[in-house]
Amino acid sequence: MAQPDVPSPEGDAEERRLIDRSATGDQEAFRQLVLRHHRLVINVAFRALGELSLAEDVAQDVFIKVYKALPTYRHDKPFKHWLHRVAANAVTDALRRRRPVVSLDGMEQPPASGVSDPQDVAARHDLQRAVRHAIANLPPHYRDTISLQAFGELSYDEIARTLDIPLGTVMSRLNGAKRLLRERLGDLVQPWEEANTA
Amino acid sequence: MLSHATARDWLIPYADGMLASDEGSRIDSHINGCAACAAELQEVRELNLLLVTLPPAPPVAFAPFWLKLQATLPQRRQLRLPTFGRYRRLGLAFAMAAILALAAATAALAAPSALPDSPLYPVKQLEESVHLAIVPSSAKLPLQMQLAAERLREAKAMAVGHKPLLAAHSLRAFGVIVNEASTALTHPADPRVVSEDLRRLHTSLDEVERVNVSRNEDDAAIKELVASDLDEIDRIEQSGASTTGSPLILGTGTETTPQPTQPTPRPTPRPTPRPTPTDEGEQHAHRG
Repeated sequence: MAQPDVPSPEGDAEERRLIDRSATGDQEAFRQLVLRHHRLVINVAFRALGELSLAEDVAQDVFIKVYKALPTYRHDKPFKHWLHRVAANAVTDALRRRRPVVSLDGMEQPPASGVSDPQDVAARHDLQRAVRHAIANLPPHYRDTISLQAFGELSYDEIARTLDIPLGTVMSRLNGAKRLLRERLGDLVQPWEEANTA
Repeated sequence: MLSHATARDWLIPYADGMLASDEGSRIDSHINGCAACAAELQEVRELNLLLVTLPPAPPVAFAPFWLKLQATLPQRRQLRLPTFGRYRRLGLAFAMAAILALAAATAALAAPSALPDSPLYPVKQLEESVHLAIVPSSAKLPLQMQLAAERLREAKAMAVGHKPLLAAHSLRAFGVIVNEASTALTHPADPRVVSEDLRRLHTSLDEVERVNVSRNEDDAAIKELVASDLDEIDRIEQSGASTTGSPLILGTGTETTPQPTQPTPRPTPRPTPRPTPTDEGEQHAHRG
């Protein structure tokens, strides 16, 4: 069961002021709102897409949608959860629109890691791309839920509050999503494990 | 004893650390005797490892990000006006001149009383912005109070007309005006005038809420915004009282004589009258 959101005091009051001012067209207030949250949105998009310029474009789209929708935003849900939902929708749209790319075309950036072996880096890069592709092709209710976990790094409880669904539904959706992912990724999971334990 | 089917259903929340300790223990004991579930759990953990190792974005400079975003943000006041993207520069200039001339002519007659659902409302907003920008600082606070009262008149009219989004928009604009004027309100040149202004705003907010709750589909956003605006006015009157030594709001409409030696008792913030006990409780929750 989704738990009710408890508004926090001063920080939320300031954020609420920024939201209300932004909703009336105050761009300076909106700039401050974007300053607070742009890192979160870019991170979500980058985890989903693996390419910084594309992630920034998606983040721009997210904030434009947010700006347009702010007059209808109600403070009954934390702004951050609402933002996560808009961001998750935008990145999954971008994932679906995106044509598959091969690993040597230079489009995707190699992940930052301490692994220096080019073969390991390439293998991890391929796995991450396969995971993103597999998530993008899940049924929408699975995709939306696991995107919040994998790209947004939200807990079960935060996912429940973001999607306005009970905690049990989050569990069953993540169950279904991960089962499908395991089926579709197949043997790809195993070499990743071996590469890590080698 | 946990059945195999149930254990399989619980493997993913177990791997995510979402099971209670007693449930986790039951999974543990099942896995010890079930090679299939043990192998499946290993696969789930491998998948989780893949999901959590998707890398975060490298640092991104905010300034260029914002400048690019700002260039594409829609101008709210222009949203209701026709777009001129197809026109060439000269045509655009003529069209804008015509619109401005038309707006100026109509604004003199109708814009000051236009409501948010009127096509003239953007003209009214523009006129108010210009007025605020050029007004001498000594006359700014009275103008802000006038505009705040106008926002509440609009909010009430929109609530009466069953247009809650527009009512909420006017209430938000009211909150912004009051917030911008809060410093002047807490250090007023004439506390008596300010206290009267705040009392009127308080009454108008109560009226907006009464209209809202009298509708069949009582709107939560309006209720919440009214509560928030009332809180802000309460805060200002309390700040003003501590600054001037006398209360800014005359809660009963009667005048209060400042007592230099003994602070005047502050009226307890009172809930707006609600038609039912349920509504009253809800309002307390919002304002608390």
